[in-house]
Amino acid sequence: MARTRGGAPRSSAPYLFLTPAIVLFLLFLAVPIGYTVHLALRRTRVSGLGLGKGSRREVFVGLDNLRAAVADGELWAGWLRVLGYGALVLVVMLGLALLFALLLDSAYVRLARFSRIAIFLPYAVPGVVASLLWGFLYLPSLTPIGGIDFLSASAVTYSMANVAVWGGTGFNMLVLYTNLRAIPRSYYEAARMDGASELAIALRVKIPMLVPAIILTTVFSIIATIQVFTEPTTLRPFSNTISSTWSPLMKVYRDAFVTGDLYSAAATSLVIAAVSLVLSFGFLRVVRGRAFGESR
Amino acid sequence: MSRRPVGALPTGLLVLGAIYCLLPVSWVLISASKAPGELFTLGTLTPGTGLLENVRELNAYRHGVFWRWMLNSVVYAGGGALLSTLVSAVSGFALAKYAFPGRNLIFNVLIGGILVPSVVLAVPQYLLFSKLGMADTYWAVLLPQILHPYSIYLARVYASAAVPDSLLEAGRIDGASEGRLLARVAMPLMVPGMVTIFLFQFVAIWNNFLLPFIMLGDDGKFPLTVGLYTLLAAGANQPSLYNLIITGALLSIIPLIALFLTMQRYWRTDLSGGALKG
Amino acid sequence: MRTQRLAIAAALATLFAAGCGGTAETPEAAPATAASSAPAGPVSLIYWTWAPNMDKIVAVWNQANPDIQVTVSKQAGGDDAAAKFLTAAKAGNAPDLVQAEYQHLPSFIAADAVADIAAETAAVKPEFSAGLWGLVTLGTDAVYAIPQDSGPMMLYYRKDLFEKYGIAVPKTWAEYAEAARIVHKADPKVYLGSFSSKDPGWFAGLAQQAGAQWWSISGEAWKVGINDTATTKVADFWGGLVQEGVIDDQPYFTPEWNKALNNGTQLSWPSAVWGPGVLESNAPKGKGKWAIAPLPQWNAGENFSGFWGGSSTAVSATSKNRAAAVKFATWLNTDPQGIDLLVKEAFVYPASGKGQAALGTPPAYFAESQPDFWQQAATIGASARGFTFGPNVGVTYNAYKDAFDKALQDKSPFSASVGTMQDTTVADMRKSGFTLAQ
Repeated sequence: MARTRGGAPRSSAPYLFLTPAIVLFLLFLAVPIGYTVHLALRRTRVSGLGLGKGSRREVFVGLDNLRAAVADGELWAGWLRVLGYGALVLVVMLGLALLFALLLDSAYVRLARFSRIAIFLPYAVPGVVASLLWGFLYLPSLTPIGGIDFLSASAVTYSMANVAVWGGTGFNMLVLYTNLRAIPRSYYEAARMDGASELAIALRVKIPMLVPAIILTTVFSIIATIQVFTEPTTLRPFSNTISSTWSPLMKVYRDAFVTGDLYSAAATSLVIAAVSLVLSFGFLRVVRGRAFGESR
Repeated sequence: MSRRPVGALPTGLLVLGAIYCLLPVSWVLISASKAPGELFTLGTLTPGTGLLENVRELNAYRHGVFWRWMLNSVVYAGGGALLSTLVSAVSGFALAKYAFPGRNLIFNVLIGGILVPSVVLAVPQYLLFSKLGMADTYWAVLLPQILHPYSIYLARVYASAAVPDSLLEAGRIDGASEGRLLARVAMPLMVPGMVTIFLFQFVAIWNNFLLPFIMLGDDGKFPLTVGLYTLLAAGANQPSLYNLIITGALLSIIPLIALFLTMQRYWRTDLSGGALKG
Repeated sequence: MRTQRLAIAAALATLFAAGCGGTAETPEAAPATAASSAPAGPVSLIYWTWAPNMDKIVAVWNQANPDIQVTVSKQAGGDDAAAKFLTAAKAGNAPDLVQAEYQHLPSFIAADAVADIAAETAAVKPEFSAGLWGLVTLGTDAVYAIPQDSGPMMLYYRKDLFEKYGIAVPKTWAEYAEAARIVHKADPKVYLGSFSSKDPGWFAGLAQQAGAQWWSISGEAWKVGINDTATTKVADFWGGLVQEGVIDDQPYFTPEWNKALNNGTQLSWPSAVWGPGVLESNAPKGKGKWAIAPLPQWNAGENFSGFWGGSSTAVSATSKNRAAAVKFATWLNTDPQGIDLLVKEAFVYPASGKGQAALGTPPAYFAESQPDFWQQAATIGASARGFTFGPNVGVTYNAYKDAFDKALQDKSPFSASVGTMQDTTVADMRKSGFTLAQ
């Protein structure tokens, strides 16, 4: 069958290949987002006691929910907390990932294989479990590191950042490391001939070559940080320093599942998606420009 | 090699990193060996005496529901990652190897999906699945996780790096259809990349908590993450089952560690392949 | 093309396999949903619950009632279960029966998710104390659930350590405060108890004891009185002790708190009748050392308690087999066999008065130190004051956690946190359009 047609329907082939992805996108992203918009424009109106049949109905409220979400002080406080937390995570996690990748790639180190597997290991631990483990380790009665109250108001941001750094360094290290391995060795030989030190090679040759991969990991890390949810939610029962609206996404969860206000949750969701879009857009453009050099 | 001395500082830094990453894991290992009474009384890093008893208790908990959770995780992660890999590979190939109107638009829109937090999607997805009568089924967890923007991104990179245009052109001159080119020429060349995508998707679905947590009601369909969470949050007036949670956490990590070690070759695959060749 | 199709076929096969697993899970669920009009032929009911071993209890019922087959779907407990039920109801996907904690029942009613079963339950009303019955009627003529278990509050204390520190069992909260000071002075590492900013249900129970009425219905309007004098008094009492530093502020049920209970650095716990299970698993070293007493009173000579926790069995508004569902719920919660199974398998303190009276052997943990545990519990239970929960308890409880967390951090007065709870609750009800009195 294939042979008789030849290469004729070439123009339709890419669309055909993309059909499954597009259908899935429509069903599981576009439609739910549409539904979120629908909810964000509505609200339940209760009459009287709100008990019994027909005492509540859904009404259209236009942009009221969105306006309330944008004006919500708690949400902005959440953004500020996440901004501080995110900057910390991004710098430390990507810094460590880069450092470890360069160390693994250098000819100097022993125990490289063991270290690579060990550092990558946290990737195998689900976020819920990781937060729980660290939660236990932060408790004064269980921690092997005494003298610090990890869950006090002043330390809790660092403690949470630590969970994210622990969980994310290995993955990012692997991305950077595999990219380093893909650089032809001949690139460094010239520098070595000139008597450049390993450190100089790392700084002047390897890091510049890694820039696209660093940008890529940064974008994905930014998106993940904006969406921070699991760590604070899991650590919250251990401490009285994390409020139910610590991060913007926690507020969405609280509205939808704790206080039963799907409409506010939908509106806040849209605000979060918009902020993610704005923050990531610039980076995505750079990635696209740098990372795709395919021929057609 | 011999002309280069081993640097004490670099090795030290790397080993420090390894110790940092292993610390909580070794804590689980040690704590899983503690009997319920020992967890809060024995020293943090002192092994206990209850490992076998804990495993036995976990085994007996609700007629071995823990193993059912593990099986469910394998079904969700295995089935989901397989489908996801196929969809991503086909899409990535199309995006990398064809010039067609709307290519960038489709790519950007698909990739843009990563910007939508899963918490945001889970609720409307649940409501929509419910309307179809499909909430609280295996489908409800499996289907939404097939489309994965990052995998499509990777597949596009792999396809553009691994599949030479000249081979496709040669195939077309021989009269092969595009579907045949995809199946016979491109896919085999993309296999290493697809294995990598499969592994990353497998881990992503295995570790996912929120979607199954929201979609599922019946604990016979729970994956491990949700099952362990319900042990923790059994309700305020139920005793906490810390020893079971910790033992369960340990056992739940083991399959993934096995996957890491056996598939090491593929974890090394160049993740942004084409980036440096552009 | 062929290979691609093969790949799709393989993919479908995976899905199919997964789907099979899904249907195999509830074999009885599928065939019997047809009984929509008259319950002729076997009826199949889905029951969402988190009570341990409920599947075993239901198996006994199913054996005896081939016409009404119940399938248990085990849920995660607490607030998660309530949220999930509300979402399922909104999506038209609710189970026939659901375990509903008393504080969540009003939000189920407000969402029109549970049925009024007053007609079917008239006969069982005398089985339950007036206080418990009020929790499932909200003081109206309707009945929205059958009480299952209850949580009257009492004071758990370490008998041996009370003797060691030379303190008597406090009869009033003033004596409690005095004892707290003595204990903490004797050993700064030891506390008489802890204030938990994570357990609004606990605080609500103590407020009930003091006579608080957070919600009430007057005519066609809700009255919200969370910042009433009784609640403010309770808040300031604990706030004072925390400020003084003689009471711990460790939330309950955390590993840290468990450890304190276990190693004897925390000597008492104002808790509910379901406490033995928690103590047994989290403080195994205290076996035979704990005893119970009535809660300390606000005024000497009074005898009041409150409720913390407890749940009921509600029938979903959309259930097509309401009569059968009520029949099962009635058996489970009022039939001697059902209650006996609930006590033995699910370890609950039954809501039914007859069920409470039938309890004999004390929990093993208390066998030596409080052999008359159940008799004590029944006496204390009778002194529990009634309470009505409102339609947005989720909002109020969440406000409790955030406001008291903040008060502990900022060392601000606890009465201000009660004010925050009131304001948050009223604002939420106003936003939704509830009619409010005043």
